[in-house]
Amino acid sequence: MNASMTETQRPKLVTALLLLPAGLFFVFLLLVPLVVVLVFSFGERAPAGGYLPAFTLQNYMDLPARGKAFFNTLTLAPLGTLLTALFAFPMAYFLAVKTSPRWRVALLILVMAPFWTSQLLRYYSWMIILGNKGLPSLLALVGLTDVRIINTPVAVLIGAVYGYLPLMVPPIYVSLEKLDKRLLEASADLGATPARTFLQVTLPLALPGVATGSMLVFILLMGDYILPQFLGGGKVFFIGNALVDLFLQSRNWPFGAAVSVALVIIMFVTIYFYMRFVLSKTDTRRAALV
Amino acid sequence: MLRAYAICVYIFLYLPITLIVFFSFNAGKYAMSWEGFSIYWYGKAFSNPLIMGALRTSVIIALSTAILSAIIGTLTALGLERTRGWLRITFDALIYIAIMVPGIVIGISTLIAFVSFFDLINPSLAGLGIKLQMGTWAVIAAHVLFNIAVVALLVRARLQGMDRSLVDASEDLYATPMGTFRQVVLPLLAPSILAGFLLAFTFSFEDFIIAYFVSGPDTTLPIYIFSSIRRGVTPEINAVGSVVLLTSFVLLIVAQAVLRRGEKTASP
Amino acid sequence: MTKHPDHISAEKFVEELRRYQKGSVSRRHFLAVTGLGLATAVLSSAVPGLRPRKAYAGLTGTLNVTTWPNYFSQENYDNFTKRTGVPINVNVFGSNEEMLAKLQAGSTGWDVLVPTNYTISTYKKLDLIEPLDLKLFPSYDPSQQDPRFLGPGTIDGVVYAVPKDWGTTGFIVNTKSTKENPVTWKDFFAATQGPLSGKVTVHDYQLTTIGSAAVSLGYDFNTVDKAQLAEVEKLLIATKPHLFGITSDYQPAMRNGDAIMAMCWTNDASQLNRDIPEMSYRLGKDGGEIWVDHYAVIKGAPNRDAAYAFLDYILTPEINAKEIESHGTPSTDARVIKLLPDSITKNPILYPAQESLSKLEFGAAETLTNPDRAELMARFKSA
Repeated sequence: MNASMTETQRPKLVTALLLLPAGLFFVFLLLVPLVVVLVFSFGERAPAGGYLPAFTLQNYMDLPARGKAFFNTLTLAPLGTLLTALFAFPMAYFLAVKTSPRWRVALLILVMAPFWTSQLLRYYSWMIILGNKGLPSLLALVGLTDVRIINTPVAVLIGAVYGYLPLMVPPIYVSLEKLDKRLLEASADLGATPARTFLQVTLPLALPGVATGSMLVFILLMGDYILPQFLGGGKVFFIGNALVDLFLQSRNWPFGAAVSVALVIIMFVTIYFYMRFVLSKTDTRRAALV
Repeated sequence: MLRAYAICVYIFLYLPITLIVFFSFNAGKYAMSWEGFSIYWYGKAFSNPLIMGALRTSVIIALSTAILSAIIGTLTALGLERTRGWLRITFDALIYIAIMVPGIVIGISTLIAFVSFFDLINPSLAGLGIKLQMGTWAVIAAHVLFNIAVVALLVRARLQGMDRSLVDASEDLYATPMGTFRQVVLPLLAPSILAGFLLAFTFSFEDFIIAYFVSGPDTTLPIYIFSSIRRGVTPEINAVGSVVLLTSFVLLIVAQAVLRRGEKTASP
Repeated sequence: MTKHPDHISAEKFVEELRRYQKGSVSRRHFLAVTGLGLATAVLSSAVPGLRPRKAYAGLTGTLNVTTWPNYFSQENYDNFTKRTGVPINVNVFGSNEEMLAKLQAGSTGWDVLVPTNYTISTYKKLDLIEPLDLKLFPSYDPSQQDPRFLGPGTIDGVVYAVPKDWGTTGFIVNTKSTKENPVTWKDFFAATQGPLSGKVTVHDYQLTTIGSAAVSLGYDFNTVDKAQLAEVEKLLIATKPHLFGITSDYQPAMRNGDAIMAMCWTNDASQLNRDIPEMSYRLGKDGGEIWVDHYAVIKGAPNRDAAYAFLDYILTPEINAKEIESHGTPSTDARVIKLLPDSITKNPILYPAQESLSKLEFGAAETLTNPDRAELMARFKSA
């Protein structure tokens, strides 16, 4: 330590040193690259593909050419999030309220574990299950012939619920765990029907958890590539697929950059309004992201 | 009724995984048509230099990511505890941006920023015989970015729940700040740092989309699995998948156990 | 073998010998320059016992080979590693466009590349591949190659790529599941929009999907005419709701019955037909693609020595024949064809009747970089 350093300078220096590595990462791997993407989005495609410096708004005017991909993503991502929340809620409720504390954590881990195992292989497995020799052949046995699931929006939604349920259950579980059972009893004692108790006591308490989980799932679904690629088979196209195509097939970097910018803006705007809505509903500042 | 529902959910979650493991013991050549029991594909997978190479690359990437993110993320959380005002707001915003920007956009932006930078700098490095290009290190860098944010949030949550009186007591006993940090703060933070380390490891090990864009000539295990799926899977991939599944399970259980124990010791 | 030095002066020979002894040149370089390599090669092919004793000394590191899925013999690659100590790292891709995109995105750490005919001139123009030094892989003999396939690899008299094998793009029909009998691309798209709706796949690849659709409309396979492409787009978008999927990996869908008909390459056709005899491969009577894949060496390849050693190894007729047998793709090399069993050389999927090939076209370089085709394909996929 430098002897001439005063008592007030030293803590500041330590703080600066603590924040420096992350700061460097944020600047050089987040901000600069995002600015480069923004710059590229005003450029032109080089003759053999890639980027040619220019200033044009053409790439943004061309965005409607990916209208269907935006539409698919902006309908199926929220719908998938909603379905995941609907399926996750009873599960979280079961774990938090109905199981004995002894098994609770183990059962919760069992729900989470699949998310941390190879996503690619799990969706591949679903390709087989939803394919002709899988579920449809079982349905044919009960007389439902010629049902096609794979490569349809339904397959993508099944995959979304499957893939993201393990992420949705834990936050809901955490908020329900705080639920004081005496509240439920009190509500019942006061003559409330179970439905009313659920709507007026349980649900409001669970809302922050639902909000956190939904946000996580929504972020991941909006940028998903593997899920629509495997279970949509090139027929249910997301923005993620359009981006992979633009960068790794047709090599139109400027247009790809414009699509990325549009995606990020849509995400930020959606999340902003979503947060405002959630905060106004739960009037708590606790609906943190993670 | 709720119990029946829960059982259905578990079946729903584990059916595909069971299928993967089941067919890893298939004697036949195709991944999903059963022709008898065999552990042939396990031997085959573990003697396939491509699979082992991809696995090694993935482990290197995941380990480096986990170590770097755990260190930098912890430093960041500690730094932010000492900060107020614009600096803190800026860092908070950056952490949330890093988490909210979809992985695919992180991959793309890293790719085009680095490739453009290399195009600028490589001609002047050519004289030195150096040529910069995408590769394993770029995957690590992009993964660390995201995981710094995750670790910082985890560690900070723990710092905020920490009992200040312990630190005060340590200071009253004339411990140096470094001594207080080593003997009081670090042990208290350890569970969340370890949990962050394990989360970063699994995230990095599982990631496909970022690596797909920035890995250059290097092949990670998910990239290898992806191209295998495109060309038709043999039980070899199921065998590797099963081993990886088992490892992920163990890691996850360890992470949870650690985090839980941490919560217990942290709560007053 | 005209590229080899026919003679070498005594002084030069001694000088090269010294350089070799000092270790400043590799044994292969020495053998090639002095012509001893040729002599050994001739000798070794004449005397079977001498055959595999090629000199690959002094090689280190790993070799990065970039190719297509199911398109190499792992056994051959393993033997190369055994012989040279150089392990091969294989990268596989789904389309030429993807390969080029990855190269442009800075994946310049590769050594050997397997480009299709129509892409080579672009790689050369972009300075991504190097002119081949034929002296370094004497096992390649241009005089033994089918002359039809020698054009694309040679640009302005310089060889940038040598043929690996060739094939066609047609479609495969599971005749067990349908009475339909499409024989042209026109039939293919009509059947897709009609009786086979929901049971057909097309490639995730601009060249063949756009090209075959263009052929079905009576246009050139390689068309880049905006008005014609607009009609192609209309056809493809109208077909899309009737497709099972857009994928270059259609073997699983064909095998499990999800798809009854698929746009298909020779090697997939021979593999499907081998297991399921009802799989019938057809070349469009109205046209389609004929292709030839090549080996090329990336400019600035980190392991250039090993790259050439690999070419020399893999193009050796006996080894190349094993290669062809493993993935079922026709060879361009007369020496290799002689070594192949009848089951391959008499197989009409691999070696179709000459007249059925007459309408097929090679892909044109322009299609690779044409922005309209790229964007059309992307719009078709996102429609």
